[in-house]
Amino acid sequence: MEVDNKDNANPTILNPSDLPSRRQTKLATDKPAGLFDSLLPVHPLPVDHSSLSSDDEEDREEIDEQEVYDLISSISDPEHPLSLGSLGVITLGDIAIAAPSSPRSRISTVTVLLTPTTSACSLTTVIGLGVKVRLLQALPPRFRVDVRIKEGTSQTADEVNKQLADKERVAAAMENRSLVQVVNTMLATCE
Amino acid sequence: MSDIQLYLLEVDKDKQEAKNIAVQSGVKLRNRQLKLIDLITSLQEYINDKDDAAIRAKSVAYLADVLENVPSKVLSGQERRLLSDFILGRIEGDLEGIGHSARALIALEAQGKWDAETAKTVARTFVDYANPLKQFKLQTDRYATIQLFDILLSKYRTPLKELHDADPEFMAAFVALFEGEKDPRNLMLVFSILQVPMTEWDIHAHAQDLFDAVFNYFPVTFKPPPDDPYGITAQDLKDRLRDCIAATSDFAAFSIPALLDKLDSSSMNTKRDVLQAIQACVVGYTPNTINQYSVPLWDALKFEILNVQENDLAEASLQALALIAAKFAENEGRLNTFLGTIIKECNEHLEDAPTKQSQAAGLILHAVAGSAPTVADKIAKGVLPKLFTLHNSSESLAKRRGLLEIFNEIAKAYVGLTLAAPSTNIDTFQESAAEALQATLRAVQRAPKSEVSLRLTAVEGLAFLLAIPRLLTQDQTYQVVDAMTDVILHETIQGHGDIRPQSIQALGEMAHTCPAAIRDRAIPAFMAELPDAPDGNYAFSPVLEAFAQLSAEQQVFDTVVRRLKNKLGAAKHQNASASYQRALLLATLYAFTYGTPVRDEDGVIKSSYYTEYAEPLIRDLHEAASVTPNMQDTAEIVGRICNIILRPQGVHFQNTIHNQHMFWTAPTEGHADMAAPYLESIAPLSLYYYAALRPEVVEPTEILSLLKTLTSEATNEKSDGPRLHLILRHLSLLINKYINPKTLQPTLEAAGIKLDTLLSSPTATPTSTSLAFTTLKALLIQGRSPALTTTYLQALLALLSDPTASIAQRFPALLAEDDILIKENHCLVSGLYKQRTFNQTVPLLIAAVQQASSDPQIKQNHLIALSGILKWLPYSMLQPSLSALVPPLLQTLDLPAPDAKAPALTIFESVLMHEPSLVAEHTASLITRLLNSTTTTAATNTTPGQTSVTAANVASVRAKALQCLTLVPRQLKRETVVPYRRQVVKKLMFCLDDGKREVRAEAVRCRKAWLGLDEEEEDDD
Repeated sequence: MEVDNKDNANPTILNPSDLPSRRQTKLATDKPAGLFDSLLPVHPLPVDHSSLSSDDEEDREEIDEQEVYDLISSISDPEHPLSLGSLGVITLGDIAIAAPSSPRSRISTVTVLLTPTTSACSLTTVIGLGVKVRLLQALPPRFRVDVRIKEGTSQTADEVNKQLADKERVAAAMENRSLVQVVNTMLATCE
Repeated sequence: MSDIQLYLLEVDKDKQEAKNIAVQSGVKLRNRQLKLIDLITSLQEYINDKDDAAIRAKSVAYLADVLENVPSKVLSGQERRLLSDFILGRIEGDLEGIGHSARALIALEAQGKWDAETAKTVARTFVDYANPLKQFKLQTDRYATIQLFDILLSKYRTPLKELHDADPEFMAAFVALFEGEKDPRNLMLVFSILQVPMTEWDIHAHAQDLFDAVFNYFPVTFKPPPDDPYGITAQDLKDRLRDCIAATSDFAAFSIPALLDKLDSSSMNTKRDVLQAIQACVVGYTPNTINQYSVPLWDALKFEILNVQENDLAEASLQALALIAAKFAENEGRLNTFLGTIIKECNEHLEDAPTKQSQAAGLILHAVAGSAPTVADKIAKGVLPKLFTLHNSSESLAKRRGLLEIFNEIAKAYVGLTLAAPSTNIDTFQESAAEALQATLRAVQRAPKSEVSLRLTAVEGLAFLLAIPRLLTQDQTYQVVDAMTDVILHETIQGHGDIRPQSIQALGEMAHTCPAAIRDRAIPAFMAELPDAPDGNYAFSPVLEAFAQLSAEQQVFDTVVRRLKNKLGAAKHQNASASYQRALLLATLYAFTYGTPVRDEDGVIKSSYYTEYAEPLIRDLHEAASVTPNMQDTAEIVGRICNIILRPQGVHFQNTIHNQHMFWTAPTEGHADMAAPYLESIAPLSLYYYAALRPEVVEPTEILSLLKTLTSEATNEKSDGPRLHLILRHLSLLINKYINPKTLQPTLEAAGIKLDTLLSSPTATPTSTSLAFTTLKALLIQGRSPALTTTYLQALLALLSDPTASIAQRFPALLAEDDILIKENHCLVSGLYKQRTFNQTVPLLIAAVQQASSDPQIKQNHLIALSGILKWLPYSMLQPSLSALVPPLLQTLDLPAPDAKAPALTIFESVLMHEPSLVAEHTASLITRLLNSTTTTAATNTTPGQTSVTAANVASVRAKALQCLTLVPRQLKRETVVPYRRQVVKKLMFCLDDGKREVRAEAVRCRKAWLGLDEEEEDDD
C-alpha cells in the first residue's frame, strides 16, 4: 500500500460553510430577492427597452478583497486534492487592497499573506508562485501584486518571500516546464 | 449431379445459393425422393477426401446445412442417432469442419432431445479430440462449438456433472478446451458455460484452474468496434466475468488476494472493476469464507475511503463494507470481530476530529450501520458513548462540529433503517438520544452565531432525530421544533451567520416526519409572531416567506392556508397596511402554486379550496374595488389564486361557478360613478378567470360581446402601456381559446378587429400595431387557420421594408413566452407553431438582409426582426439553417441594438459548443465582433468596407460575448485561433477592469482559456 510521504497527510479542513463568500457577506442594504417575487412575473411590454437598459451601468462594483479571495481560494494544493481556501492557506483576513498612494497614481496594491499548512511545508514556494501567477493573469494591470508568507508560519519565509518578490526570478520560474506544469495543475481547479 | 456436387460448386461463389441447395436436399428427404443413406453415401467421396482438407470441411458444412433445414419429424430417432455417431466418429479422426460438425449436432439436438449417454459422448468427444479450441483459427468454428457446449450446460447438466464426478481428469480438460479464447462473442458464452460448474459442481480440487481460466481476462479492457453488429459491450463482458469470480466460495483463496493486489493498480478503471468484483464476491461467497478475509478486505477498502482518489471509488468501497457487515448481520461472533476493528479505528479518528479522516470515519460508520439493524445497534453501542464523552469534554467548537458530523452520519443510518422497517429496534441508539439532543440544541441555541458550520451540523442533526420514529418524547420533540422555530422567527443575521434557509428547510422536513408537532408548536408560534396590523417598521416578509414554505408538506397544507386566511381577515379588520395584506395574499398564492394541496382521486386539486379560498377573496375584491380605484395589483393576485384552483376542475363545477359568478362583472349597487375605475381594477381578475375556464363553459355570445368591449377599449387606449398590454393579453386568450377557427374572420370583424386594415397601413398607431401583433400571436400558437396566418405574417414582413415603420422591435413579442396561452389554461397550443413560424419568416428575412444592403435602415429592420424571432426558438430548430444564419447574425453584432445582440450571442454560444466548424471560416470577423461586444465605451467598427459606431454594450451582453469568446480557443482548431491570441489577451486586459463583477469573472475565465493556448504550444515542441 502506498506510503504517505506527504508533509502533512491529515490536514485540518475548513467546512465550506465557514468559508467567506460573496453571498454571505452581502450588505444588509441590498434588497434580497423575495421568495414571492417570482409569483408575479413582470410582463415585458411589446416594445421594451427597459429589460436591457443601461441604467444599472452607473454603479461600479469595485474589485475588493472578497473578489481576490474568490480568484485564489479555489487554487488547489499541490499535494492534496483540496483548495487553498479550505485548507486555510488563504484567508479573507490576510488579503488587503491598498488604494493608490497618491491621487495622481492609478496603481493599487494587493497584498496576500499565505499560511502554509505546516511550518515545514516544502511546497510553500510553489503555492506562492501559483497565487502570484493567478493574480497577475486575472487582475487588471493597475494592480501591483504582493504575495508573501505570513510572518511566523514558515521556517523558510524569508527565502520564499525574496523569491516571490523578485520579478526576474518569478519570470525565470515560469520558464521551467515542470514548474509550469505544477502551477497549471494547481490553477486547473480555478473557474 | 448430386446435391453435394452442386453444393461444392456453389459454396465458394454464392453462399445463399449453396444454402438453397441444402434446403432442397432437406425437402427431398421429406418427400422421400432421397434416402438418408444415399445422401450419406454421396458424401463419402468428399468427406473422406484425403488430399483436400477444404473439401472435407465443405462436405461437413453441407451436411450441417441440410440438417439445419430439414423439417422436423423427417428423421427418425434411429436415423438421428446414426447421424450423430457418424459425426462424432469423424471428429475422432478428422477435425476439419469442426464448427460445421457442431452445427450439425446442434441441429440434430433441436430435432429431438438426447439421452444422457449421447450428451456425455458429445461432450467427451469434443473435450478429448478438439482440445484446445484455440487451435481453430476461424471464430465461427469455435463459436459453433461453444454454442454446442452452451446447450449441453443448459439442458444436460446432470449427465455432464456425472462426467465430472466419474473422472477427476475431466475438469482440467474441460477448462483447457476454452483456454485462450479472445473473441468477445465467444467469451460471453464461455463465461456463462464455466459459471455452471463453478456454481453447481464440486470443483474444490479444480478451483484454481477454473478461477484462472476466467480471471486471466481481468480486468476487461475490450473496446467494441464502432460498427459491431453483435452489440457486445465491455460492460456485458465485465458483468459475466464478475459473476464467474463470485460464483463459488472455493475461489476465495485465489480471488480475494488477486483482487486486492489489483486494487493497487494505478488505473481508475481497473480499481472500479475490482471494487465491483469484491462487492459481488461478498454477496456470492458464504459468510464463513468472507469472514476469513475480513481483515485484509477492511484494510484495503479503508485505504480507498481514507485516501479518496475518485469519489465513486470511495463510494464503492463503502458499499462493499456495508455488504460485508450485512453478510455477518446474523452471526454475533463474526459481527463482533468485524465491527470491533472498525469501531476501534473510527474511534481513534474521533480523537482528532475534524479532519479528513474523521470525515471518512463518519462515512464508514454510516455505510456499515445502514446495512442492518443489528449492525447499527453495535455501532451505536461502540461509538456513541465515546463520541459524546469527547464532545462534552472538549471546548473546541470545531471539534464538537466534527463529532456531531459523525453523529449525524450514524443518525442518518437509523433514519434509513426505520424508514425501511418502522419497527426497527432503536433501544441502543435511544440511550444516547438525550445527550445528542442536548448537544445539538446547545449548538443551535447557544453557540456563537458566527459558528455557521457547527450550527448547521446541529440543525441537520435535529432533523434526523425527529425523523426516527419513537426516538424522542413529545416534550423533546417540542423542544426541537421550538428551537427551529425560534431561529426562523427571531434570528435576523444578514450575511455570514445566517442559518435561516437551512432551518426553514429542516422545519419542512420535520413537518413531514412530525406534522402534529408542527401544528401544535410551530404554526401557533408563527401566528403569534405575525401581528394583525404591523406597524411601519416591522419586517414581516421573512416570517411570512418561511411560513408559506411549510405548505410544501401536504399534512400541514390546510392548516397553513387556513391560518393565512384568518390572518388576512384580521388584517383587513384592523386596517393593516396594503403592503401587509398584499404579502398575506402572495403567501396564499405561493402555497397554492408551490405547496402540496390535497387532491381528489383523479389528482385534481380539491374543488372545495375554490369555495373556501378563491370565492371569498373575489367577493372582498369586488367590494373593495367598488369604492376604491386602482386595485389591479390585488386583482392580479386574487386572479392567479382563482386560476390555479379553478382551471383543472371539470366542466360541471366550472359551469356552476360561472353561472353564479357574474356578480363581479359590475360594481356593487350605489357606486355607479365607479363603473369605469371598477372595471379597470378587476381587469386582471377577469383575465385569469377566463383563462381558467374550459371553452365549453362560456357561451359564444358572451365571448363576442367581451371581444367587442376589449377591442374598443384597446382602440381607444392612447398609450402603449401596461393597461393596453393587459387588454391585449385578454384578447389573445379569447381569440385563441374561444373563437371557432371556421368562423374566425367574421367573428374578428364583428368584434372590430380588421387585420387587413391594421397591417396595410404603414402609418398605423402603436395601439393598432400592437393589436395586430396580439391577434397574430394568438393565431400562430393556435395553428388552426394556417392560410390566414400566413397572409398576415407576410403583410407584417412587408412592413419591414418601410424605413419609417418601427415594427421590427416588436418581433420578439410574436413568439415570446406567455403564461396565459398555455395548455393548462385550455388554450389551443399547436406543437408545430414555432417550426411553422420559423419556416415562414426566417428564410425570407435572411434573403431580405442579403438584398437590402443598399439601405442600412431596412437592413437593420430585418436583422432586428430576425433576432426577435430566433430568440425564442430552440437550437435544434435552427440547426439545419445555421450556415445561412451565421452571416446575418454576425451583422447583428454590429447593430446598436442590445436586444438584438443578446439572442445572436446565445446562438453563437450554442454553435461554438455543438458545431464549431460552421463558424471556423468566419473566425476573424467573429473574434473582432465578440471583442467589440465586450467593450463598455462606444467602439468604432473596423470591418472592411463599412465603418459604423456601435453603441455601448450592457453588462449581460458583455458577459455573454466573453462566454462565447472563451469557447473560441477551446472549440476551434488551434492553428485557426493562435494568430489572434496576442490581440485577444491584450484586449481582455480591459475587461478585467470592467465595472461589473460578473463581467470581470467571465473575463478572467476567457483570458485563462486564451492564455492556455500558449502551454499547448510548448508541449508540442
